[in-house]
Amino acid sequence: MDLTVTIGSGTLPNPVGVASGTFGFGEEYGRLIDLSRLGAVYAKALTLEHRPGNDTPRMVETPSGMLNSIGLANPGWERFRVEKAPFLRDMACPAVLNIGGKKESDYLELVEKCEELDCHWGYEINISCPNVKAGGLAFGTDTHQVESLTKKLRPLTKKPLIMKLTPNVTDIGEIAKAAEAGGADAVSAINTLKGMVIDTKKRRPVIPAGTAGLSGAAVRPVGVACVYRIAQCVSLPIIGLGGIFTADHAIQYLLAGASAVQVGTALFVDPRIPLQVLEGIEAYMDANGFTSLKDFHGHF
Amino acid sequence: MEQFHSEVISCRESARDYYELIFTWKGPVPLPGQFLTLRCWEGDSPLLRRPFALSSYDAAERRASLIFQKRGPATSLMTHLKTGDHMDILGPLGGTFPPPETGRRPVITGGGIGTGPVLFLADALSRAGLRPLLVLGFRDKNFVPRVHLPLGCETVICTDDGSAGQEGTVIDYLRSRDDLAGSHFYGCGPNPMLKGLHELAVEQNAPCSVSVEEVMACGIGACQGCAIPVNLPRKFLRVCQDGPVFDSRILVWT
Repeated sequence: MDLTVTIGSGTLPNPVGVASGTFGFGEEYGRLIDLSRLGAVYAKALTLEHRPGNDTPRMVETPSGMLNSIGLANPGWERFRVEKAPFLRDMACPAVLNIGGKKESDYLELVEKCEELDCHWGYEINISCPNVKAGGLAFGTDTHQVESLTKKLRPLTKKPLIMKLTPNVTDIGEIAKAAEAGGADAVSAINTLKGMVIDTKKRRPVIPAGTAGLSGAAVRPVGVACVYRIAQCVSLPIIGLGGIFTADHAIQYLLAGASAVQVGTALFVDPRIPLQVLEGIEAYMDANGFTSLKDFHGHF
Repeated sequence: MEQFHSEVISCRESARDYYELIFTWKGPVPLPGQFLTLRCWEGDSPLLRRPFALSSYDAAERRASLIFQKRGPATSLMTHLKTGDHMDILGPLGGTFPPPETGRRPVITGGGIGTGPVLFLADALSRAGLRPLLVLGFRDKNFVPRVHLPLGCETVICTDDGSAGQEGTVIDYLRSRDDLAGSHFYGCGPNPMLKGLHELAVEQNAPCSVSVEEVMACGIGACQGCAIPVNLPRKFLRVCQDGPVFDSRILVWT
């Protein structure tokens, strides 16, 4: 049984990774689970400058999900290089750096700087964070900007280049086409959905920024539908995420057209879930005579 | 920290809407101030693990306890826990209360749901022969928990209406004492109590260590969801990993 996933110039050992923003830079969860069994760690979003993050409270539980508004809190490039990169370099599974920025030149400069390091397997470009005022979602909802940014990033690296897409658009398929036209190696979908919870006693949103990003089981059908739509529009590999708690959920994404998956919010329920998901995928493949992940595609 | 399976030894209502949960502990030895996250239900509603500070640890019996308030869906489910029920625990998490500064007497305050961790601290410091002053505050006598209070402490109960112990708040009581110079203050409880404790400590130029509560997702320092504002260049610290016990002087009091 072949569990490997090829994305551009790189190959992941298996399809199950952990989603950016839920796993830090790997150290914390590395004390709880065997990182060598993961397909990839998609690291916390990194920006050129240190970002303290958004005002508090930053999260609230919602029906079968949660809202978060972390605001890309991260140590910034300089501290990342010294404090975080060595762990990623020595980690026993591939690290994918998640790159954030306010403007196009931020993304380009940061990828250029990261090319000096040897800590990572590839890049996931965050053009879909709903919780920052500039950059993020503003890029990811405009096909022209997505194609332009991807095109400018492409010559900067030979490593796999993954564009992370937002579901907060009319047609995610069009955005995926723009990423493909720009030269991306893959797309990942979905980032969080925009949501809001209002405290009726205080008569204001629970999260100070107002809206925040919805994740968890509640978004799973949206994510699966987005992956299915993207698969109809592009021939790029798709990395599916959003509400994966069990192998069955991951298999839904694979059947919809994904070649790999990420587990995010489920880590907050049980850190062992990514490894359980992987075991469940293997069992499903074994039971159904699948020999590679391609066997998940084309059933409907 | 470790993730491990635990069995409920007992769960009983110890005051109105407050429950004492005693359970088996297979993880590393927890210290006062540390917490755990747990899940004892299936499905995705409620979703996230819930954090609770530990209120005791019995090394000989390998059992620990916590005190929780019935407040939302998860804690409502927890009130139905019975002997032998299974829980998934991640712990011990976070840092501990620091020892009192040399020569200072520990003055330990707790209120409402903050009672658990200060009982654990008071017990540890009294065993170390430091004879802490333990002041616990509650709304009225119905909220005073019927739990084992640590021996070797000077313990004072306060209620807002005077229906049990001293009438008034914990801070009222502390301000009525004229022998607290040279204290190291500790606290866990509602924000107004912690703020009052902080102000008292500043007036007396005394150290003050407070344990704070925040909604959490990962509980281990990865997600930055439980950040609180601090008077430091980095602006925010994580309650789960940098706390939950902080020097009160770095926190932003509003």
